[in-house]
Amino acid sequence: MTMQGEKPKSAKELAKELTAQYLEEARTAHEHGKYVAYTTAVSPVEIFVAHDIIPIYPENHSVACITKRLCTELSEAMENEGYTSHLCAYARCDLGYRLVGKSPMGGIPDPDFLLACNAQCFTLTKWFEVLSRQYRVPLFVFDTPQWIRDREARKSIIRYCVEQLKELISALEELTGKRFDYDRLREVVRLSDEASRLYRKFLDMASYKPSPITIFDALIHMAITVYLRGTPQAVLYYRTLVDEVQQKADRGEGAVPNERFRLYWENLPIWFKFRDHFNLLASYGAAILTSLYVHAWSYEFDLQKDPLETLAENYVSVFSNVTLEERAEMALDLFERYSLNGMIMFINRSCKAVSFAVHELRDLLSEKTGIPALVFEADMGDPRFYSEAQIRTRIEAYLETLERLEG
Amino acid sequence: MKERLLERLLEVANKPFEALKDLRAKKKVIGSTLADVPEELIHAAGLHPFLILGTNEPIRVSAALMPDNCCSLARSNLELVLAYQPDFFDGFVLSQVCDTTQHLCDIWKRRFQDRYFENFLAPRQVSRPSARQWVAVEMRRLRESLGRYAGRAITDDDLRRSIRLFNENRALLRRLYDVKRRAPGLLSNREFFDVVKAAFFMDRSEHTELLKPLVQWAEGEAEKGVAYGHFPAVVAGIVVEPPQIYDLLDEVGANVVADNLPTASRYIYYDVSEEGDPIEAMAERHVSRPNFSPINDQVERIYRDLIELYRGYAAQAIFYIHIKYCESQDYDLPDIKRKMREEGTPMLVVETEYQSTHLALMKTRIEAFCEAVLGRV
Repeated sequence: MTMQGEKPKSAKELAKELTAQYLEEARTAHEHGKYVAYTTAVSPVEIFVAHDIIPIYPENHSVACITKRLCTELSEAMENEGYTSHLCAYARCDLGYRLVGKSPMGGIPDPDFLLACNAQCFTLTKWFEVLSRQYRVPLFVFDTPQWIRDREARKSIIRYCVEQLKELISALEELTGKRFDYDRLREVVRLSDEASRLYRKFLDMASYKPSPITIFDALIHMAITVYLRGTPQAVLYYRTLVDEVQQKADRGEGAVPNERFRLYWENLPIWFKFRDHFNLLASYGAAILTSLYVHAWSYEFDLQKDPLETLAENYVSVFSNVTLEERAEMALDLFERYSLNGMIMFINRSCKAVSFAVHELRDLLSEKTGIPALVFEADMGDPRFYSEAQIRTRIEAYLETLERLEG
Repeated sequence: MKERLLERLLEVANKPFEALKDLRAKKKVIGSTLADVPEELIHAAGLHPFLILGTNEPIRVSAALMPDNCCSLARSNLELVLAYQPDFFDGFVLSQVCDTTQHLCDIWKRRFQDRYFENFLAPRQVSRPSARQWVAVEMRRLRESLGRYAGRAITDDDLRRSIRLFNENRALLRRLYDVKRRAPGLLSNREFFDVVKAAFFMDRSEHTELLKPLVQWAEGEAEKGVAYGHFPAVVAGIVVEPPQIYDLLDEVGANVVADNLPTASRYIYYDVSEEGDPIEAMAERHVSRPNFSPINDQVERIYRDLIELYRGYAAQAIFYIHIKYCESQDYDLPDIKRKMREEGTPMLVVETEYQSTHLALMKTRIEAFCEAVLGRV
């Protein structure tokens, strides 16, 4: 990808360039005879990529709105239309954006097709139902029953999911009038697998002591795998990123000076408090290193299998769709591999899918690790549901507790 | 006469745990939650299916287990089994229809590790052929599981017998609903829906035996004349709780002639075919039932079905019962309201929750709607 003699681009430069290209391609899709499909961040997007359909993630756009502090304004616009402020902040930003047209990135193109994968959450199905009525475009719900621990049930679940992916392919063939190319899907899944494994390698660099990255790096760098997995560009990007972070680790550079506390974060981040949280924690030598959320995109596709089967297996078993016990085990694996010694359990008003069992999860994790947990409730996007002084005090008190325990 | 015929049914509907306290001595009791757990399967295993419909008693335990923006149906279901009836059930089959119910299953299971527990993973889309195939697979899994628990395999004949019993029961409830429509005033809304509710709790044969003379009496009385002063109405939603909401509708003269409730029409209007493979027949019923908000289907059904009921039954108003924090209804409601405005269909959204103490306020809203929109004073 690099011209001879040209200095290779950094991951940051690549991210900027790839994002601009991707958005441009999406905005001009119709001019080039392509289609735009909205989908959930966790969904078998490889099928779209293999069929020249450009995936757009309204959730990503909502994150951009939230970080530019537009959430309350957009939310109020949709509340005036009769929606409630209890809904997911992503949905509120998106439905509000469609009313007032405000966007920090010039908006996103309207959809030709909608795909909601409920392994991620139920909210997206209902939110996309609203969009399906509004734009009069088809909505396909990829229904992923809970990944219960029952060997036979799991086989049946995979069969059901594969059957649905075939239905999805038929729906896309109908939309585009073009025959689906399974060979191309194999290649896209191979690329997706490569990028996902590199992404996981990047995340796992948090196991170094000191850690060269924190969760805030992971949250920034996950964007490319969310919207470009299945492309060679994503592979190049993560290869570059892994090399950069490896060099930092080799130099023994930590993301936080004098690292003392290596923390687990439960849930999505509070996007508009990103920097504040990083600074506050860093002042105590604390760094949040990981969460199950950022690992939701570290897929491992089995290239020997039928691509639909390996897609089904990966997407149905995402952390938000497993049983509570399995989710705790997934988190405990991170505690062990990353040598974590603290945990912040955020109950996110926006996200019922991830938050509803957090009290139980905290019990399981504290029981197994003996590590105390900080639990607090707020919203990932809407400052109206974020109590600044209270949360700051609680984080400080928690870190002081960890200091006392450390002795 | 009516009081005597209704006495036991209303007692079971309103105080099920007192009225049915000897139940466990006869059969193992399997609690299930909304929606669509195939109770014929539980019955065919020689077990007693009991639909858990929450409690209006104060919340003491479950508030600490789930965040406050959890719908009160889920919260009060958990409260009921943890705080009020911890020993009533031998096991549970819980249905997953949304994020809340999915997590509820996990929390519930951890609290009752000594009991039988199964999830019923119903399809959350019903518009494609895969849903029909999946629900049959899932029903077969449940059949095996219940058979193992009961210590005997559920045969096709067992299942057919249960299907016949439940079909007969539903047919009687349909006849009663039909009388209620034609002869408002004969049975109040509260009485009718309590009779339906009792079916979810008590032995189905006993319920059927109580229904037979009631239906016979009602059909006989209906011929004698029609009470005046009522207006036909549609009720929409998932559950109507607290049940005093029906009393409020009775007070303003609304006669509920149609509904889309999974606790009423969506349940009683669809029979399982008694021909062919019983599991396939149950799967067919599952996917052909009316729209249920959390389950994805054609997206316009959220209002189209209501408009069809409203027109088909010549209703004058729709009462939409909105359980606070029900995410599914929260996403549907603005589009439903807009459509009803466009169509000129009078609809009142009644926001409620279990443990609701705002009945006076609700009453005022319902009365104001009837006066202002329907011109009824």
